[in-house]
Amino acid sequence: MKFKLIIEEGCEEEIVAKVHSANDLTSKIEDLVLSYVENDEITVRGDYELLTLKFAEIECITVIDRKVYVIDKRANKYRTSGTLSDIEKALPSYFIRINKSSIANERKISCFKTSFSGGVDAIFKSGYKDYVSRRCFGEIKRRYKI
Amino acid sequence: MKILGKYYKQFFLRGLVAMGFGPIVLAIVYLILGITGVAEAISVYEMALGIITITALAFLCGGITVVYQIEEMAISKAITLHGIIIYIAYAVVYLTNDWLAEGTAPFLIFTAIFIVGYLLVWLIIYFVTKRGTKKLNIGLKNKAE
Repeated sequence: MKFKLIIEEGCEEEIVAKVHSANDLTSKIEDLVLSYVENDEITVRGDYELLTLKFAEIECITVIDRKVYVIDKRANKYRTSGTLSDIEKALPSYFIRINKSSIANERKISCFKTSFSGGVDAIFKSGYKDYVSRRCFGEIKRRYKI
Repeated sequence: MKILGKYYKQFFLRGLVAMGFGPIVLAIVYLILGITGVAEAISVYEMALGIITITALAFLCGGITVVYQIEEMAISKAITLHGIIIYIAYAVVYLTNDWLAEGTAPFLIFTAIFIVGYLLVWLIIYFVTKRGTKKLNIGLKNKAE
């Protein structure tokens, strides 16, 4: 298989793969391309200073009392500015809506769990958990082609 | 109504869609009662009261499903609220139409049947959700690999 890289300033960037059929490699390329973002970090408020968190370090972004918080892989909670929908636009494709107030890093979800009440929770690797709304549950199912 | 808040419009729309089914169900029940010989003649008053109350019941049963659309409300709260409202509505309609025999025993039997029925529905929902969650975990695992 050949690899061709064309560098041309000012052109619309796109990655095209010419193959006989879709396979693991094309899936990986697709994931990689769709999850790529130029700016891969977000500014959050620490105790005394502004910090930057890499998207890959984030587990969840959630709204609590109308304020947006970023939860990192150690379950630390940081305030950030902007609305959830604005932040969502800048996030790579491995971030998914789990309810109308939370966006989860799919790669940091340990598992989904059915609660006794009949709801579904997303359990993150740090132990942090958040509920999955019925609407988002359906969307995630479609995402996984279930 | 305060809990429903901004969902009141959906409550009415869902209620309006469901209310048409009430009289149809009532007609089927009366037909079965007629065919089996349990009831041969029903007075105009009984028929009118039955249609009106069943229509109202269907409206409420359809409308109240909106609680499951309120994301802010925990599913356990939604189920409880839904169950209580439906139970009260059914009890009122049954008593208004004299579909329950007088005395405590029939009422307790009605309550027990309602609770068992509701629990059964809840169990079905629980296991369907659990199966969906299992599939979701497989999807998550496949995505990670």
